[in-house]
Amino acid sequence: MEKYLRFTKREFCATALGLPLSTLFEGEALAQVSDTLSIAFPVDVQSWDPTSVTFPAGQSIYKCVFDSPMHYSTDQKLQPKQIKDRKWLDEANTRLEITLQDGILFHDGSQLTMEDVRYSWIERPQKDRRLAIGGMIPDMNDIQIVSPTKGVIIFSKPAPSVEYYLGFLAAYIIPKAYHLRVGNEGFLEKPIGAGPYKLVDYQRGSRIVLEAFDRYWAGVPSIKKVTFQILPEPTARVAAIESGRVDIATQLPFREAVRLSSNSNLTSDIYDLSEVFLLQVPSYVEIYKNKDVRAALHLSIDKQALSKSFFNGVAKPLSVLATSGSSSDVPGYNFPYDKARAIASLKKAGYDSAKPLQITLQATNGTYPNDYLIARALVAMWKQVGINATLSEITIAKYLELNHSQKLDGVMLYSWANPTGDPENFAGRILNPDLRFAAWRDAALAPRIAELYAMKLTPQRIEAYKKLQIEASENSWSIPLLQTVGNVVSKKGIAVPKYAAGYILPAEFARRR
Amino acid sequence: MFKALAQVALRRLLDAVPTVFLLSIVVFVVLRALPADPLALLLPPNATQADAAAMKVAMGLDHAVPVQFVFWLRDAFNGDLGTSISFREPVTTLIANALPATLELSIAGLALALLISVPGGLWFFAVRGQRKEVVADLAIVSMLSIPTFLWGLLLMLTFGVAFGLLPFAGRVDSDAILPSGTGLLLVDYLIRLDWRNWLSALSHLALPATALALGFSPMVIRVLRSSLIEASSEAYVMAARQRGLSETRVLIAHMLRNAALPAITLIGAQLGFLFGGTLLIESIFSFPGIGNLMVQAVRNHDLPLIQGIVLVFCITTLLINTLVDILYVVLNPKLRKSS
Repeated sequence: MEKYLRFTKREFCATALGLPLSTLFEGEALAQVSDTLSIAFPVDVQSWDPTSVTFPAGQSIYKCVFDSPMHYSTDQKLQPKQIKDRKWLDEANTRLEITLQDGILFHDGSQLTMEDVRYSWIERPQKDRRLAIGGMIPDMNDIQIVSPTKGVIIFSKPAPSVEYYLGFLAAYIIPKAYHLRVGNEGFLEKPIGAGPYKLVDYQRGSRIVLEAFDRYWAGVPSIKKVTFQILPEPTARVAAIESGRVDIATQLPFREAVRLSSNSNLTSDIYDLSEVFLLQVPSYVEIYKNKDVRAALHLSIDKQALSKSFFNGVAKPLSVLATSGSSSDVPGYNFPYDKARAIASLKKAGYDSAKPLQITLQATNGTYPNDYLIARALVAMWKQVGINATLSEITIAKYLELNHSQKLDGVMLYSWANPTGDPENFAGRILNPDLRFAAWRDAALAPRIAELYAMKLTPQRIEAYKKLQIEASENSWSIPLLQTVGNVVSKKGIAVPKYAAGYILPAEFARRR
Repeated sequence: MFKALAQVALRRLLDAVPTVFLLSIVVFVVLRALPADPLALLLPPNATQADAAAMKVAMGLDHAVPVQFVFWLRDAFNGDLGTSISFREPVTTLIANALPATLELSIAGLALALLISVPGGLWFFAVRGQRKEVVADLAIVSMLSIPTFLWGLLLMLTFGVAFGLLPFAGRVDSDAILPSGTGLLLVDYLIRLDWRNWLSALSHLALPATALALGFSPMVIRVLRSSLIEASSEAYVMAARQRGLSETRVLIAHMLRNAALPAITLIGAQLGFLFGGTLLIESIFSFPGIGNLMVQAVRNHDLPLIQGIVLVFCITTLLINTLVDILYVVLNPKLRKSS
């Protein structure tokens, strides 16, 4: 009835006003059903050089255009992609042999070879320290080329876990010959990769139009044309999917995703993402050096209530810095919500209702689902035990700047993405004092984390990391809150594979007809 | 008359030079006074202090702020506004790609605003003293109290979602090939006689331009009405009526020409706001102009890009004001004489 009514209104208005526009839109709608797809997407790419940025939200687009050496399946398992085979050549895990798939072509028809891999991962980052690939895989010294499809990556230190990062951020392969020919500016102007889709049109901040690459090594995608419509404004994404102007909309406000689930023309999927909401505690601020202060902050948070209030109870409360069910998770460990203990801890630290603890809570507004609302709830929860928190709005860029220069003056509500599920990319990076992400910078943790980094991928390694995760929670060096919840709303008949990383990969879509 | 116009244009442009210079100093100093560290965004996660120091030297940030400004000014004269921190592309390229979209949107917004405000002002004047005046007054006050971005959302939800009549994202349909040329899509498609895409570009402009126009018009309607009321008691109006001219002719041919001057002054002053209004409107409608670019630059603390866009906003506003001054001289004979 609803569909009928809407169609009638539109038809009526178009006819009544004599607008030829409706004819154009009708044509567009028919085309979409056949082999095109439009996606209301919240972010644009930061740069068309995918090796230059660590930008989790833009990975869907990069994977479409550049593909990726390794890949995480929907159930978060690392799988071969452009690299079909890999093996360590030494016990110390400093020489990794990789073999590429046969017949991978770039969009200009040239073949992707180990020369391109070496150029992307070794030659460019050694010349340009700004490239993020150099930071993501820091100990990569060289690549010895054995054949066009085989090479050995040489590491300066044991790097057993490196394979996890070959399917995550910045580890993309760009065409050496093309990049050298057109220069970096030329490449950014007209990027080419070896992914399932070619970039055919780009308007910054507005749309990215992709066309299926007919010589993609894994087979031509069934959806021939994909448009990422960049709509940072959540209301605009809701409007786009509700009006039928796009086929898919992602990361809608949670309540809107729930509301749209009752729309008979749409499918609304709400699912766990491989991201955690956490509070970053800056160790360089005097007050947070007090363990009792940190304990009070942590004990007074009712994580279950946060989940119920803002995510209908769907978001899982976390006791450690790890997503539920991942290899980093510590089942059975529970950090309590205990107001009485929080008050006692505060008293031990010298604060009570007569002399409340004054702190600042920094939070983004609209960057992560319900971020500012969660921050307001935290302020209210802390108030109940005698902590007066001043809520201050901040951007991620500002947070990185302040934390980099150790000028962050309060705890920060942050979201940490980790599709690898590996603990190295949770506690191993969040608490590594040598990295700019870390707010808790305890120099004593550096050798311990370095030791964990060098451990082979054995159950003992996971156990050692779990100890660190528990210790981090017990000491509240960083305070885990909830597992982030994502959503994707699509027109009925479009089967969207749901990746824990939040990827939208049209090449993987199968349409139900 | 042309001599007078040229004099006004030249004087205005000469006046603009120190204004742009002063503004660029203010923007440069203010942005550097902020507790912001552009290096933090440029460096990879494992960057050491030595890397940070090397990057600082490479970017010229190790010099004193006045020296940095001199370098920046020298490069700006050569058309180099630096490299964007977040997009890693030349600022001039980013702005050059985005500016035509904003200009097209602003021009469309202004044209629509005039289409609304001139007849609106005349009607508002015509119904003075009647019951309709109360309704009109209420409508104007309501329009004044709704900010531009809210108009944007209301129009999007009404005409985009509820009735599904007009598109509300981007500049053109996704299957349209963007033509090379001026960057103004309506012009470029018109030159190619590509009517389908011309209509598509027009329909994509409709909602954001209307949102800008609705935020801009009520003030002009009010000023035009007041000017018309003032003009209605002037001697030349009485004389025209005594000559037996119809009320409509008196209004259009005599009163409007004189009453338009204060309205034009207001439009000139408000054009900067209309141009600035594109900031939020472009973001809401996913319109790839410099307003949208500015929002991204601010979000990413991209100082070179913010600086470049502010400079372009300033120069564009000054040019618009010069054009308005020229128009003012065209319409006002007294000013021609004084020039």
